[in-house]
Amino acid sequence: MTRLTYQQALVAAIRGEMARDPRVFHMGQDVGATSDGVMNSCKGLAAEFGAGRVIDLPISEAGTVAAGIGAAVAGMRPIVQIMFGEFLSLVMAPLACDAGTIWYRSGGKRSVPMVVRTLFGTGPHRGHPEDFHGWLCSVPGLKVAMPATPRDAKGLMAAAIRDENPVVFFEHMGLYHSVREEVPEEELITPFGVADVKRAGKDITLVAVGLMVQVALRAAAALAKEGIDVEVLDMRTPVPLDKAALVGSVSKTGRLLTLSETWRIGDSMAEAVAVVAEELGGARKIPISRVACAHVPRPFAHNLDKLALPNEAKVIAAAKALLSR
Amino acid sequence: MHRLLLMARRLEESFATLHSYHPAVGEEAVVVGAFFGLTAGDYIAPHYRGALAAAYLRGADLRRLIAGVYGKSTAYNQGRFRGDICMPIELNVIGLFSGILGSSVGLAVGAALAMKLRGAPNVVVSTFGEGTSNLGMVHESLNLAASLTLPVVLICQNNQYAMSMSAKASLKCASVADRALGYGIPGVRVEGNDVIAVHAAVQEAVARARSGGGPTLIEALTYRVSGHRSGEQVAYQDPAERRDWQAKDPLRRLQESLCASGLLDGAGIAAVDTAVRSELSAAVQLAQQDPEPAPEVLGLDDVFAPENHQGVVP
Repeated sequence: MTRLTYQQALVAAIRGEMARDPRVFHMGQDVGATSDGVMNSCKGLAAEFGAGRVIDLPISEAGTVAAGIGAAVAGMRPIVQIMFGEFLSLVMAPLACDAGTIWYRSGGKRSVPMVVRTLFGTGPHRGHPEDFHGWLCSVPGLKVAMPATPRDAKGLMAAAIRDENPVVFFEHMGLYHSVREEVPEEELITPFGVADVKRAGKDITLVAVGLMVQVALRAAAALAKEGIDVEVLDMRTPVPLDKAALVGSVSKTGRLLTLSETWRIGDSMAEAVAVVAEELGGARKIPISRVACAHVPRPFAHNLDKLALPNEAKVIAAAKALLSR
Repeated sequence: MHRLLLMARRLEESFATLHSYHPAVGEEAVVVGAFFGLTAGDYIAPHYRGALAAAYLRGADLRRLIAGVYGKSTAYNQGRFRGDICMPIELNVIGLFSGILGSSVGLAVGAALAMKLRGAPNVVVSTFGEGTSNLGMVHESLNLAASLTLPVVLICQNNQYAMSMSAKASLKCASVADRALGYGIPGVRVEGNDVIAVHAAVQEAVARARSGGGPTLIEALTYRVSGHRSGEQVAYQDPAERRDWQAKDPLRRLQESLCASGLLDGAGIAAVDTAVRSELSAAVQLAQQDPEPAPEVLGLDDVFAPENHQGVVP
């Protein structure tokens, strides 16, 4: 074991997979030795594997994703970095309509083993925070990962690279250098579609991904002091969603609170709510509440950003309101 | 090559009453000239207009291709996507996996990147329309191919119309090939209705790509004799312009040249045509009789590839 940041854990997973499989390569803007990737997201990769396997590219997001798909169907396993999640808007045609469809529409003749990694969320430089993962969750054929911890950053990234399907991998800039935890030095594969019960509880199921898992845990700790026992579920991969864990937890607690950094409409947490309503609704009353980003374009000023985003206080208030229903 | 050109013509004509079809009548010389003479490991990414002929040329089964146009179970993709634009990728033919133009050019560049990374001696040849040439995806892909010196040949099948939009209105440059200057790669303009000239230009670019010389942008100027879709009235085409281009028919041009050089005569042409028509009508008949896909082809559990699947390139 060694204590790694989220960023170090991501790079460790990529290093391990590139060393293990010569078909894996990495490309994107500023990923080469000159820059080592924004926020050191590719630290040391170009030095270790060379410019031939860590390929610096011009600003061409759509072309880059399409090239990744083409390389994947021709036998490679590309990791494509789209610098920031906001730029996913530029790549939706090849990502949603080609990467997501090729396995199915080729009748299972070729797959697209590609990872599209992207940074998002309010980080130290405050730019490009938008969380657009909800767009991708409705597209058949795409998987979506949003790790909340360094350990999961490593395990989910390795699993994403080994997956036979396109994975969009969201790396939170607010977690990048801020948290550190024990991460195994040896190979670590965290399977997709398996939620992590971060904290067991009996009163409310609180569901989140990414940075919001930390907010959820802090809120749960505060609520525990008031005798409210919250179960915190980190879904880890919005697609595939661990429906069994979700439904199992809510059938135990009888209450669902979701926490999102993105807007509530079309969010993966909205899908979690729908799953619970379908599976458990009707048979019993299940109070449900959602804490999400205010439905405005992400504002810049510190105080406005804080106003727009969920925080512990909002989660605590929502949890208490839920208990009174 | 003459037989392939004839097959392309008869194939494109055969869907004259199928209104969903986008025929390539008049443009067949670009298709045959571009994709003839490649090696087995090479990839092609054809423009949707003429894609069936391109896939046939690369060894696809005619009945299965036509079954794809009708959405039958014998189609290469079992009827999961329209087989007139989605081609058998297992034969290294990259078609369209959505109704969006431009992506196949991007995928072609990516396949070329794979060739380079794998150290394979192979190239990728891709065609696209002049309408598609105006997309950002095509610009990005050309620049990526140039920046990375990739083994890819990009050919604009300029039929002068994007649906109803005339190239006179959509392009301010004299030729799409002129844009090559901006990418720092060779740009070549070729008479698109001369199959021999197209083939020669493409093969020169293929040789350059194979030897590490990077991409080439070719414009093959032709004319869309068909409507955008089968049966469409082309009132927006100038009748005189249309007549001029019909007089430059690529099939007749090759046949006249073959006859003039003594390689073929009228009887020889008729014999090839009879054989092509008979092969085609047999395939059409079988494809039309083929069953529709079974309900399980909907594939609710087949949206994601499983581990250890059979679709991995060796």
